[in-house]
Amino acid sequence: MSPHDDGLPEDPQDMKLMIHALIDGELDAAAALAVERRIAADPELAAEHQRILALRTAVAGVPRPAVSEDFLARIAAIAEVKGSDEAEATQAEAVKAQPQRHQGKVIEMRPRASARWFNSFDWRQMAASIVLTAFLASGATQWLMVENVPDSFAVNVANGHRRSLLAATPVDIVSSDRHTVKPWLDGRIGVSPPAPDMAKDGYALLGGRVEVIGDKPMPALVYRHHEHLITLVAAPRQNEAKSVPVADDLSAGGFLLVHWTDGAFSYWAISDAERPALDDFVARFRAAAATNPAAGSPG
Amino acid sequence: MLAARFAEVVLPHLGDALSLARWLTGNAADAEDVVQEACLKAHAGIAGFAGGNPRAWLLTIVRNASYTWMARNRPRSVVAVGDLADLDDVSPPPDKDADSPEAALIAKANSAAVEAAIARLPEVFRETLVLRDINGLSYREIAAMLGVPQGTVMSRLARARSLLMTDIGGRHEPA
Repeated sequence: MSPHDDGLPEDPQDMKLMIHALIDGELDAAAALAVERRIAADPELAAEHQRILALRTAVAGVPRPAVSEDFLARIAAIAEVKGSDEAEATQAEAVKAQPQRHQGKVIEMRPRASARWFNSFDWRQMAASIVLTAFLASGATQWLMVENVPDSFAVNVANGHRRSLLAATPVDIVSSDRHTVKPWLDGRIGVSPPAPDMAKDGYALLGGRVEVIGDKPMPALVYRHHEHLITLVAAPRQNEAKSVPVADDLSAGGFLLVHWTDGAFSYWAISDAERPALDDFVARFRAAAATNPAAGSPG
Repeated sequence: MLAARFAEVVLPHLGDALSLARWLTGNAADAEDVVQEACLKAHAGIAGFAGGNPRAWLLTIVRNASYTWMARNRPRSVVAVGDLADLDDVSPPPDKDADSPEAALIAKANSAAVEAAIARLPEVFRETLVLRDINGLSYREIAAMLGVPQGTVMSRLARARSLLMTDIGGRHEPA
Protein backbone atom coordinates (compact mmCIF):
# COMPACT_ATOMS: atom_id res chain seq x y z
CA MET A 1 0.00 0.00 0.00
CA SER A 2 1.35 3.41 -0.86
CA PRO A 3 2.06 5.61 2.14
CA HIS A 4 -0.63 8.12 3.07
CA ASP A 5 -0.11 11.39 4.85
CA ASP A 6 -3.51 11.52 6.52
CA GLY A 7 -2.29 10.32 9.93
CA LEU A 8 -4.24 7.07 9.79
CA PRO A 9 -2.56 3.75 10.59
CA GLU A 10 -0.75 2.01 7.75
CA ASP A 11 -1.25 -1.41 9.30
CA PRO A 12 -4.28 -3.01 7.59
CA GLN A 13 -5.64 -4.45 10.87
CA ASP A 14 -5.37 -1.10 12.62
CA MET A 15 -7.01 0.59 9.65
CA LYS A 16 -9.95 -1.80 10.04
CA LEU A 17 -10.34 -0.67 13.63
CA MET A 18 -10.70 2.86 12.30
CA ILE A 19 -13.58 1.71 10.09
CA HIS A 20 -15.30 0.21 13.13
CA ALA A 21 -14.72 3.48 14.99
CA LEU A 22 -16.18 5.44 12.06
CA ILE A 23 -19.33 3.32 12.02
CA ASP A 24 -19.63 3.59 15.80
CA GLY A 25 -19.50 7.38 15.62
CA GLU A 26 -16.33 7.48 17.68
CA LEU A 27 -14.28 9.65 15.31
CA ASP A 28 -14.17 13.41 15.17
CA ALA A 29 -15.03 15.10 11.87
CA ALA A 30 -11.45 15.33 10.62
CA ALA A 31 -10.66 11.68 11.30
CA ALA A 32 -14.01 10.57 9.88
CA LEU A 33 -13.28 12.46 6.68
CA ALA A 34 -9.85 10.86 6.36
CA VAL A 35 -11.25 7.37 6.92
CA GLU A 36 -14.06 7.95 4.43
CA ARG A 37 -11.49 9.00 1.83
CA ARG A 38 -9.51 5.82 2.41
CA ILE A 39 -12.66 3.74 2.07
CA ALA A 40 -13.58 5.48 -1.18
CA ALA A 41 -10.12 4.76 -2.59
CA ASP A 42 -9.81 1.12 -1.52
CA PRO A 43 -12.33 -1.52 -2.60
CA GLU A 44 -11.18 -3.90 0.12
CA LEU A 45 -11.85 -1.34 2.84
CA ALA A 46 -15.16 -0.47 1.18
CA ALA A 47 -16.19 -4.14 1.30
CA GLU A 48 -15.25 -4.33 4.99
CA HIS A 49 -17.23 -1.14 5.64
CA GLN A 50 -20.27 -2.69 3.92
CA ARG A 51 -19.95 -5.93 5.90
CA ILE A 52 -19.74 -4.13 9.24
CA LEU A 53 -22.75 -1.98 8.37
CA ALA A 54 -24.70 -5.08 7.35
CA LEU A 55 -23.75 -6.79 10.59
CA ARG A 56 -24.87 -3.81 12.65
CA THR A 57 -28.23 -3.94 10.87
CA ALA A 58 -28.50 -7.68 11.51
CA VAL A 59 -27.62 -7.31 15.21
CA ALA A 60 -30.04 -4.39 15.58
CA GLY A 61 -32.78 -6.72 14.29
CA VAL A 62 -32.35 -9.15 17.19
CA PRO A 63 -35.45 -8.87 19.38
CA ARG A 64 -34.98 -7.19 22.75
CA PRO A 65 -36.36 -8.77 25.91
CA ALA A 66 -39.57 -6.98 26.81
CA VAL A 67 -39.89 -5.26 30.19
CA SER A 68 -43.17 -6.77 31.38
CA GLU A 69 -45.58 -4.73 33.49
CA ASP A 70 -45.13 -7.32 36.19
CA PHE A 71 -41.35 -6.99 36.19
CA LEU A 72 -41.45 -3.20 36.09
CA ALA A 73 -43.80 -3.22 39.08
CA ARG A 74 -41.46 -5.57 40.97
CA ILE A 75 -38.48 -3.29 40.39
CA ALA A 76 -40.39 -0.10 41.13
CA ALA A 77 -41.49 -1.70 44.41
CA ILE A 78 -37.84 -1.93 45.53
CA ALA A 79 -37.69 1.84 45.90
CA GLU A 80 -41.10 2.11 47.54
CA VAL A 81 -40.43 -0.50 50.21
CA LYS A 82 -36.86 0.45 50.99
CA GLY A 83 -37.16 4.17 50.41
CA SER A 84 -39.64 4.72 53.21
CA ASP A 85 -37.29 4.02 56.07
CA GLU A 86 -34.05 5.36 54.69
CA ALA A 87 -32.55 8.72 55.31
CA GLU A 88 -33.13 10.95 52.36
CA ALA A 89 -30.14 12.16 50.50
CA THR A 90 -31.59 15.16 48.77
CA GLN A 91 -31.22 15.44 45.08
CA ALA A 92 -29.60 18.82 45.54
CA GLU A 93 -26.70 17.23 47.33
CA ALA A 94 -26.20 14.68 44.64
CA VAL A 95 -26.31 17.42 42.05
CA LYS A 96 -23.70 19.50 43.84
CA ALA A 97 -21.16 16.79 43.28
CA GLN A 98 -21.54 17.21 39.54
CA PRO A 99 -18.97 19.91 38.63
CA GLN A 100 -16.26 18.05 40.49
CA ARG A 101 -17.10 14.92 38.63
CA HIS A 102 -16.71 16.71 35.35
CA GLN A 103 -13.20 17.68 36.30
CA GLY A 104 -12.45 14.14 37.25
CA LYS A 105 -13.57 13.00 33.85
CA VAL A 106 -11.31 15.36 31.97
CA ILE A 107 -8.38 13.46 33.32
CA GLU A 108 -9.95 10.09 32.83
CA MET A 109 -10.97 10.74 29.25
CA ARG A 110 -7.56 11.58 27.91
CA PRO A 111 -6.63 8.82 25.51
CA ARG A 112 -4.36 6.38 27.27
CA ALA A 113 -0.76 6.20 26.25
CA SER A 114 -1.05 2.44 26.27
CA ALA A 115 -3.60 2.46 23.47
CA ARG A 116 -1.22 1.13 20.93
CA TRP A 117 -3.56 1.84 18.01
CA PHE A 118 -2.90 5.51 18.34
CA ASN A 119 0.85 5.31 18.60
CA SER A 120 1.21 5.95 14.91
CA PHE A 121 -0.54 9.31 15.00
CA ASP A 122 0.21 11.12 18.17
CA TRP A 123 -1.00 14.49 16.89
CA ARG A 124 -4.50 13.14 16.86
CA GLN A 125 -4.23 12.03 20.44
CA MET A 126 -3.23 15.55 21.40
CA ALA A 127 -5.95 17.13 19.32
CA ALA A 128 -8.56 14.76 20.76
CA SER A 129 -7.56 15.57 24.29
CA ILE A 130 -7.75 19.31 23.63
CA VAL A 131 -11.17 18.97 22.01
CA LEU A 132 -12.44 16.77 24.83
CA THR A 133 -11.15 19.15 27.48
CA ALA A 134 -12.77 22.13 25.76
CA PHE A 135 -16.00 20.19 25.38
CA LEU A 136 -16.08 19.17 29.01
CA ALA A 137 -15.13 22.62 30.21
CA SER A 138 -18.02 24.15 28.28
CA GLY A 139 -20.32 21.43 29.61
CA ALA A 140 -19.31 22.21 33.17
CA THR A 141 -19.86 25.93 32.64
CA GLN A 142 -23.30 25.31 31.26
CA TRP A 143 -24.12 23.06 34.18
CA LEU A 144 -23.23 25.82 36.63
CA MET A 145 -25.41 28.24 34.69
CA VAL A 146 -28.31 25.84 34.74
CA GLU A 147 -27.74 25.32 38.43
CA ASN A 148 -28.21 29.01 39.06
CA VAL A 149 -31.59 29.12 37.39
CA PRO A 150 -34.15 28.64 40.15
CA ASP A 151 -36.22 25.50 39.72
CA SER A 152 -33.98 24.47 36.85
CA PHE A 153 -35.61 24.45 33.45
CA ALA A 154 -33.57 21.41 32.40
CA VAL A 155 -34.82 19.38 35.35
CA ASN A 156 -38.40 20.32 34.45
CA VAL A 157 -37.86 19.25 30.86
CA ALA A 158 -36.43 15.96 32.11
CA ASN A 159 -39.37 15.42 34.43
CA GLY A 160 -41.83 16.06 31.60
CA HIS A 161 -40.00 13.60 29.37
CA ARG A 162 -39.99 10.95 32.08
CA ARG A 163 -43.69 11.41 32.78
CA SER A 164 -44.42 11.01 29.08
CA LEU A 165 -42.50 7.70 29.01
CA LEU A 166 -44.59 6.39 31.90
CA ALA A 167 -47.90 7.69 30.52
CA ALA A 168 -50.16 5.63 28.29
CA THR A 169 -49.11 7.75 25.33
CA PRO A 170 -46.25 10.26 25.07
CA VAL A 171 -48.30 12.67 22.96
CA ASP A 172 -51.61 14.53 23.27
CA ILE A 173 -52.09 14.85 19.54
CA VAL A 174 -51.00 11.86 17.48
CA SER A 175 -49.92 12.77 14.03
CA SER A 176 -46.95 12.52 11.76
CA ASP A 177 -48.34 15.44 9.76
CA ARG A 178 -47.04 18.83 10.84
CA HIS A 179 -50.12 20.39 9.25
CA THR A 180 -52.10 18.70 12.02
CA VAL A 181 -49.67 19.17 14.90
CA LYS A 182 -49.01 22.87 14.35
CA PRO A 183 -52.64 24.04 14.24
CA TRP A 184 -53.39 21.89 17.27
CA LEU A 185 -50.59 23.51 19.30
CA ASP A 186 -51.52 26.92 17.92
CA GLY A 187 -55.13 26.41 18.97
CA ARG A 188 -54.18 25.27 22.47
CA ILE A 189 -51.51 27.70 23.49
CA GLY A 190 -51.08 30.06 20.56
CA VAL A 191 -47.53 28.96 19.84
CA SER A 192 -46.28 26.51 17.28
CA PRO A 193 -42.64 25.73 16.57
CA PRO A 194 -41.34 24.30 13.30
CA ALA A 195 -42.33 20.62 13.19
CA PRO A 196 -40.56 18.97 10.27
CA ASP A 197 -41.18 15.27 9.81
CA MET A 198 -37.77 13.68 9.43
CA ALA A 199 -38.94 10.09 8.98
CA LYS A 200 -36.62 9.68 6.01
CA ASP A 201 -33.69 10.52 8.28
CA GLY A 202 -34.84 8.00 10.87
CA TYR A 203 -36.66 10.45 13.13
CA ALA A 204 -40.41 10.04 12.74
CA LEU A 205 -42.68 12.76 14.11
CA LEU A 206 -45.11 11.04 16.48
CA GLY A 207 -47.07 14.11 17.51
CA GLY A 208 -47.09 16.86 20.08
CA ARG A 209 -48.11 17.71 23.59
CA VAL A 210 -48.20 20.68 25.92
CA GLU A 211 -45.61 20.90 28.70
CA VAL A 212 -46.10 23.25 31.61
CA ILE A 213 -42.73 24.56 32.75
CA GLY A 214 -42.47 27.31 35.33
CA ASP A 215 -46.19 28.18 35.05
CA LYS A 216 -45.92 28.58 31.30
CA PRO A 217 -47.45 26.18 28.78
CA MET A 218 -44.93 25.26 26.11
CA PRO A 219 -45.16 23.22 22.94
CA ALA A 220 -43.35 19.89 22.90
CA LEU A 221 -42.82 17.70 19.86
CA VAL A 222 -42.15 13.98 20.11
CA TYR A 223 -39.97 12.10 17.67
CA ARG A 224 -39.15 8.42 17.55
CA HIS A 225 -35.68 7.14 16.70
CA HIS A 226 -35.54 3.32 16.71
CA GLU A 227 -36.78 2.40 20.18
CA HIS A 228 -36.00 5.79 21.70
CA LEU A 229 -38.30 8.76 22.07
CA ILE A 230 -36.96 12.28 21.72
CA THR A 231 -38.91 15.12 23.30
CA LEU A 232 -38.26 18.56 21.85
CA VAL A 233 -39.50 21.43 23.99
CA ALA A 234 -39.64 24.77 22.15
CA ALA A 235 -39.74 27.71 24.54
CA PRO A 236 -40.68 30.98 22.86
CA ARG A 237 -37.73 33.31 23.42
CA GLN A 238 -38.18 36.15 25.84
CA ASN A 239 -36.33 39.34 25.06
CA GLU A 240 -34.04 38.81 27.99
CA ALA A 241 -33.41 35.15 27.17
CA LYS A 242 -29.80 34.36 26.51
CA SER A 243 -28.96 33.35 23.00
CA VAL A 244 -27.39 29.92 22.68
CA PRO A 245 -26.46 29.67 19.02
CA VAL A 246 -24.35 26.56 19.46
CA ALA A 247 -25.96 23.46 20.85
CA ASP A 248 -25.02 22.78 24.45
CA ASP A 249 -24.81 19.28 25.81
CA LEU A 250 -26.28 18.69 29.23
CA SER A 251 -27.77 15.91 31.20
CA ALA A 252 -30.61 16.00 33.65
CA GLY A 253 -32.61 13.44 35.51
CA GLY A 254 -30.68 10.60 33.95
CA PHE A 255 -31.33 11.73 30.38
CA LEU A 256 -29.15 13.43 27.81
CA LEU A 257 -30.17 16.95 26.93
CA VAL A 258 -29.18 19.34 24.16
CA HIS A 259 -30.07 23.03 24.35
CA TRP A 260 -29.82 25.63 21.61
CA THR A 261 -31.51 28.74 20.28
CA ASP A 262 -32.73 29.29 16.73
CA GLY A 263 -34.94 32.15 15.57
CA ALA A 264 -37.92 32.69 17.79
CA PHE A 265 -37.45 29.64 19.97
CA SER A 266 -35.18 28.26 22.60
CA TYR A 267 -35.02 24.49 22.12
CA TRP A 268 -34.45 21.66 24.57
CA ALA A 269 -34.06 18.18 23.10
CA ILE A 270 -34.06 15.32 25.59
CA SER A 271 -33.82 11.57 25.15
CA ASP A 272 -32.44 8.34 26.47
CA ALA A 273 -30.96 7.77 23.01
CA GLU A 274 -27.19 7.77 22.82
CA ARG A 275 -25.28 10.99 22.38
CA PRO A 276 -24.37 10.63 18.67
CA ALA A 277 -28.02 9.92 17.79
CA LEU A 278 -29.26 12.92 19.75
CA ASP A 279 -26.60 15.17 18.22
CA ASP A 280 -27.53 13.91 14.78
CA PHE A 281 -31.20 14.61 15.48
CA VAL A 282 -30.41 18.16 16.58
CA ALA A 283 -28.29 18.83 13.49
CA ARG A 284 -31.00 17.53 11.18
CA PHE A 285 -33.78 19.37 12.97
CA ARG A 286 -31.90 22.65 12.80
CA ALA A 287 -31.22 22.13 9.10
CA ALA A 288 -34.86 21.25 8.40
CA ALA A 289 -36.17 24.17 10.46
CA ALA A 290 -33.73 26.57 8.79
CA THR A 291 -34.92 25.67 5.31
CA ASN A 292 -38.43 26.71 6.27
CA PRO A 293 -38.05 29.47 8.86
CA ALA A 294 -41.60 30.78 8.33
CA ALA A 295 -42.95 27.51 9.68
CA GLY A 296 -42.58 28.64 13.28
CA SER A 297 -44.63 31.37 14.87
CA PRO A 298 -44.12 32.66 18.39
CA GLY A 299 -47.24 33.47 20.29
CA MET B 1 -36.12 11.56 47.36
CA LEU B 2 -34.25 8.35 46.82
CA ALA B 3 -37.35 6.76 45.32
CA ALA B 4 -37.65 9.53 42.73
CA ARG B 5 -33.96 9.29 41.91
CA PHE B 6 -34.29 5.53 41.48
CA ALA B 7 -37.23 6.04 39.13
CA GLU B 8 -35.20 8.54 37.11
CA VAL B 9 -31.95 6.70 36.91
CA VAL B 10 -32.86 3.02 36.91
CA LEU B 11 -36.35 2.44 35.52
CA PRO B 12 -35.81 3.94 32.04
CA HIS B 13 -32.96 1.50 31.40
CA LEU B 14 -34.49 -1.79 32.50
CA GLY B 15 -34.77 -2.94 28.88
CA ASP B 16 -31.05 -2.49 28.36
CA ALA B 17 -30.35 -4.14 31.70
CA LEU B 18 -32.40 -7.19 30.69
CA SER B 19 -30.67 -7.36 27.31
CA LEU B 20 -27.21 -7.39 28.84
CA ALA B 21 -28.12 -9.94 31.53
CA ARG B 22 -29.82 -12.11 28.94
CA TRP B 23 -26.69 -12.22 26.79
CA LEU B 24 -24.33 -12.76 29.70
CA THR B 25 -26.36 -15.47 31.44
CA GLY B 26 -27.76 -17.02 28.27
CA ASN B 27 -31.47 -16.91 28.96
CA ALA B 28 -34.28 -14.49 29.61
CA ALA B 29 -35.67 -16.00 32.81
CA ASP B 30 -32.31 -15.83 34.58
CA ALA B 31 -31.89 -12.30 33.25
CA GLU B 32 -34.90 -11.09 35.25
CA ASP B 33 -33.47 -12.56 38.47
CA VAL B 34 -30.08 -11.01 37.81
CA VAL B 35 -31.52 -7.60 36.97
CA GLN B 36 -33.66 -7.68 40.09
CA GLU B 37 -30.58 -8.35 42.19
CA ALA B 38 -28.71 -5.62 40.35
CA CYS B 39 -31.55 -3.17 40.99
CA LEU B 40 -31.40 -3.90 44.72
CA LYS B 41 -27.71 -3.03 44.62
CA ALA B 42 -28.42 0.02 42.46
CA HIS B 43 -30.99 1.20 44.97
CA ALA B 44 -28.58 0.77 47.84
CA GLY B 45 -25.93 2.73 45.95
CA ILE B 46 -28.09 5.34 44.27
CA ALA B 47 -26.79 8.16 46.44
CA GLY B 48 -23.34 7.48 45.02
CA PHE B 49 -24.49 8.07 41.45
CA ALA B 50 -23.52 11.67 40.85
CA GLY B 51 -24.04 12.03 37.13
CA GLY B 52 -22.71 10.73 33.86
CA ASN B 53 -24.56 8.18 31.79
CA PRO B 54 -27.11 6.41 33.99
CA ARG B 55 -27.37 3.55 31.52
CA ALA B 56 -23.64 2.84 31.76
CA TRP B 57 -23.84 3.09 35.54
CA LEU B 58 -26.70 0.60 35.79
CA LEU B 59 -25.15 -1.77 33.24
CA THR B 60 -21.92 -1.88 35.24
CA ILE B 61 -23.91 -3.15 38.21
CA VAL B 62 -25.84 -5.58 36.02
CA ARG B 63 -22.60 -6.96 34.60
CA ASN B 64 -21.16 -7.55 38.07
CA ALA B 65 -24.42 -9.11 39.23
CA SER B 66 -24.42 -11.41 36.19
CA TYR B 67 -20.98 -12.77 36.94
CA THR B 68 -21.73 -13.14 40.64
CA TRP B 69 -24.94 -14.97 39.77
CA MET B 70 -23.19 -17.29 37.33
CA ALA B 71 -20.40 -18.08 39.74
CA ARG B 72 -23.05 -19.12 42.28
CA ASN B 73 -25.44 -20.97 40.01
CA ARG B 74 -23.26 -22.32 37.25
CA PRO B 75 -19.74 -22.58 38.61
CA ARG B 76 -18.63 -24.65 35.67
CA SER B 77 -19.58 -22.28 32.92
CA VAL B 78 -17.57 -19.39 34.26
CA VAL B 79 -14.30 -19.09 32.43
CA ALA B 80 -11.52 -17.88 34.65
CA VAL B 81 -11.08 -14.28 33.64
CA GLY B 82 -7.37 -14.00 34.19
CA ASP B 83 -4.93 -12.59 31.74
CA LEU B 84 -6.84 -11.84 28.58
CA ALA B 85 -3.88 -10.41 26.72
CA ASP B 86 -3.47 -13.58 24.70
CA LEU B 87 -7.06 -13.36 23.49
CA ASP B 88 -6.63 -9.75 22.55
CA ASP B 89 -3.65 -10.51 20.43
CA VAL B 90 -5.50 -12.96 18.27
CA SER B 91 -5.72 -11.18 14.96
CA PRO B 92 -8.79 -11.62 12.79
CA PRO B 93 -8.55 -14.20 10.02
CA PRO B 94 -7.38 -12.85 6.67
CA ASP B 95 -10.05 -11.91 4.16
CA LYS B 96 -10.09 -14.54 1.48
CA ASP B 97 -12.76 -12.90 -0.62
CA ALA B 98 -13.10 -9.26 0.22
CA ASP B 99 -15.48 -8.48 -2.60
CA SER B 100 -17.86 -11.41 -2.22
CA PRO B 101 -21.54 -10.57 -1.75
CA GLU B 102 -21.01 -11.36 1.92
CA ALA B 103 -22.57 -8.09 3.06
CA ALA B 104 -25.84 -9.03 1.39
CA LEU B 105 -25.82 -12.44 3.07
CA ILE B 106 -25.16 -10.89 6.46
CA ALA B 107 -27.95 -8.35 6.02
CA LYS B 108 -30.37 -11.13 5.04
CA ALA B 109 -29.58 -13.39 7.99
CA ASN B 110 -32.64 -13.97 10.12
CA SER B 111 -32.59 -12.85 13.71
CA ALA B 112 -32.59 -16.40 15.10
CA ALA B 113 -29.37 -17.12 13.21
CA VAL B 114 -27.85 -13.86 14.47
CA GLU B 115 -28.87 -14.67 18.05
CA ALA B 116 -27.34 -18.12 17.82
CA ALA B 117 -24.13 -16.67 16.41
CA ILE B 118 -23.89 -14.11 19.23
CA ALA B 119 -24.47 -16.87 21.78
CA ARG B 120 -21.57 -18.84 20.28
CA LEU B 121 -19.09 -15.98 20.73
CA PRO B 122 -16.46 -16.40 23.46
CA GLU B 123 -17.54 -14.47 26.52
CA VAL B 124 -15.12 -11.52 26.35
CA PHE B 125 -16.07 -10.82 22.75
CA ARG B 126 -19.79 -11.32 23.32
CA GLU B 127 -19.74 -8.95 26.26
CA THR B 128 -18.05 -6.16 24.30
CA LEU B 129 -20.29 -6.63 21.28
CA VAL B 130 -23.48 -6.55 23.38
CA LEU B 131 -22.38 -3.47 25.32
CA ARG B 132 -21.67 -1.64 22.05
CA ASP B 133 -24.18 -2.90 19.48
CA ILE B 134 -27.13 -3.78 21.71
CA ASN B 135 -26.72 -1.48 24.72
CA GLY B 136 -25.22 1.35 22.67
CA LEU B 137 -22.41 2.34 25.04
CA SER B 138 -19.42 4.30 23.76
CA TYR B 139 -15.91 2.85 23.59
CA ARG B 140 -14.92 5.01 26.53
CA GLU B 141 -17.84 3.81 28.66
CA ILE B 142 -17.10 0.18 27.83
CA ALA B 143 -13.39 0.65 28.60
CA ALA B 144 -14.25 2.17 31.97
CA MET B 145 -16.69 -0.63 32.76
CA LEU B 146 -14.32 -3.45 31.83
CA GLY B 147 -11.26 -1.73 33.24
CA VAL B 148 -9.28 -2.09 30.00
CA PRO B 149 -7.79 0.47 27.58
CA GLN B 150 -9.95 1.71 24.72
CA GLY B 151 -7.61 0.03 22.26
CA THR B 152 -8.52 -3.31 23.82
CA VAL B 153 -12.21 -2.50 23.49
CA MET B 154 -11.66 -1.68 19.83
CA SER B 155 -9.78 -4.89 19.08
CA ARG B 156 -12.28 -7.05 20.98
CA LEU B 157 -15.17 -5.41 19.17
CA ALA B 158 -13.53 -5.87 15.78
CA ARG B 159 -12.77 -9.49 16.64
CA ALA B 160 -16.33 -10.13 17.83
CA ARG B 161 -17.81 -8.64 14.66
CA SER B 162 -15.36 -10.52 12.50
CA LEU B 163 -16.33 -13.83 14.14
CA LEU B 164 -20.02 -13.00 13.69
CA MET B 165 -19.55 -12.06 10.05
CA THR B 166 -17.75 -15.30 9.34
CA ASP B 167 -20.41 -17.27 11.22
CA ILE B 168 -23.43 -15.59 9.65
CA GLY B 169 -22.01 -14.83 6.22
CA GLY B 170 -20.28 -18.18 5.91
CA ARG B 171 -23.18 -20.44 6.69
CA HIS B 172 -24.83 -19.86 3.33
CA GLU B 173 -21.79 -20.78 1.34
CA PRO B 174 -20.61 -24.29 0.54
CA ALA B 175 -17.76 -25.35 2.76
